Amino acid sequence: MRETKSATLLRMLSVAAAALGLTAVGGRAMHIMEGYLPVPWAFGWMAVCLPFLAAGFLSIRKKVALNPRAKVLLAMCGAFAFVLSALKLPSAFGSCSHPTGVGLGAILFGPAAMVVLGLIVLLFQALLLAHGGLTTLGANVFSMAIVGPFVSFGLYALLKKAGCNRALAVFLAAALGDLATYVTTSVQLGVVYGNFLQYLTIFAVTQLPLAIAEGLLTVVVFNVLEKYARRELEDLAVL
Amino acid sequence: MGTDRCAYLSRLRRVDPVPKVWFTLAALLVCLLADSIAVGLFTLAALSALNLALGGQRAGDLLRFLRVPLAFLVIGCLTIVLRPIGQGEALWAFRLLGRWCWGVTEENLRLGVLVCCKAMGAVSAMYFLSMNTPMTDLTAALERLKLPRLFVELVELIYRFIFLLTDTAASIHTAQQARLGYQGFRRSIRSMGELLSAVFVRSLHRGNRVFSALESRGYTGCLATLPGQYAPGRWLYGLAAAVAVCQLLILFAERRLLP
Repeated sequence: MRETKSATLLRMLSVAAAALGLTAVGGRAMHIMEGYLPVPWAFGWMAVCLPFLAAGFLSIRKKVALNPRAKVLLAMCGAFAFVLSALKLPSAFGSCSHPTGVGLGAILFGPAAMVVLGLIVLLFQALLLAHGGLTTLGANVFSMAIVGPFVSFGLYALLKKAGCNRALAVFLAAALGDLATYVTTSVQLGVVYGNFLQYLTIFAVTQLPLAIAEGLLTVVVFNVLEKYARRELEDLAVL
Repeated sequence: MGTDRCAYLSRLRRVDPVPKVWFTLAALLVCLLADSIAVGLFTLAALSALNLALGGQRAGDLLRFLRVPLAFLVIGCLTIVLRPIGQGEALWAFRLLGRWCWGVTEENLRLGVLVCCKAMGAVSAMYFLSMNTPMTDLTAALERLKLPRLFVELVELIYRFIFLLTDTAASIHTAQQARLGYQGFRRSIRSMGELLSAVFVRSLHRGNRVFSALESRGYTGCLATLPGQYAPGRWLYGLAAAVAVCQLLILFAERRLLP
């Protein structure tokens, strides 16, 4: 009797450990790795991204033509997005992950600039850190630099118009933008290999706490910026 | 940072980056299009061997980088191999909550192994590029491949600024940690928020200073630099063809031997 009880306990412990392990790798596992998507899908996602990229690039070019300072500022913002994604985000279960910066970037720089900056940041992550890949760049850009930022930005604009509390608006925009990114990634994997719900469950379990943590983090960042950096935020209006 | 250190020490560093880009893309695409386990494994072995032999990389470094995507691969292949199935055909199955039958079928197992081998082959091809080409050479190659000038300039500037901001963020992080800034969840979130906003404000200041410095040196909207002196590296095209031929031969052999 005692034998079976300890066996059950052992099994439950191992399942819990496995779940914690998944949360630990979850933050890095969002980038679809090189070679995971078949060629038609990889190029298909690139084609989907092209119009967004073209629009983003044209908007950046217009801003740079109006104000040459914008180029250097945009580059700084891109580098900021890369550094942000390399930091370790504390998570509720003591595991660590990395913030995506999807919501923060979208609210600060706007979704058009985020498409181009996101592409460059994802390229660097693929080549320098081996997170993501070259052929899967299109799919990753679509989930992380197009869907996530557009959801965050739209939600933030909508909530602000509705007269919502600002902290709550920032929190919801960042957390739901994050979740939108994960859902998109699960759809991208699910349509190729089937079993979409299973991908979604794994991502939901591992990413929900991270999305909440990132939402809280974004609120803190905005509070500090609001308090101490009003003039710098006005500078950003040129972007 | 990451593969950058290896790239600057590589023996192929002085070789023209454009042939390296084509070589990598050719091996990568053939590996993906072949859609076969044997070609995936061959690409993994061949490109890793070329990386060690031609680039003079250390095996330890390469293994360390090959381990990076494993987390994704484990989750990704597990969801392919283990999934809800019908009755009968399973190699191994169990009942989930007494209702759904989950298990492993031969077909799914094959697909999982195939995706795993293909992806590792593709990753090793990508490492051949990133471990042997410094990012500054790669941006020069992007320009020669006719990407828009403004885009390439943004890539160059962001690459430079990444190192500046990483330094700033790292020293703030150390200072916070020395003052117990990351004890517990609440305090960690607060400290990290403060770190990010400080880095952000500093990056804007830095950006403005860089612009003033450029303007005082006669900046007119274009950052022109001289191209580096490269060895031509046309032999890489030959090598690309040889690798592709080997890949195709292995594909045919596999199709013949395994019906």
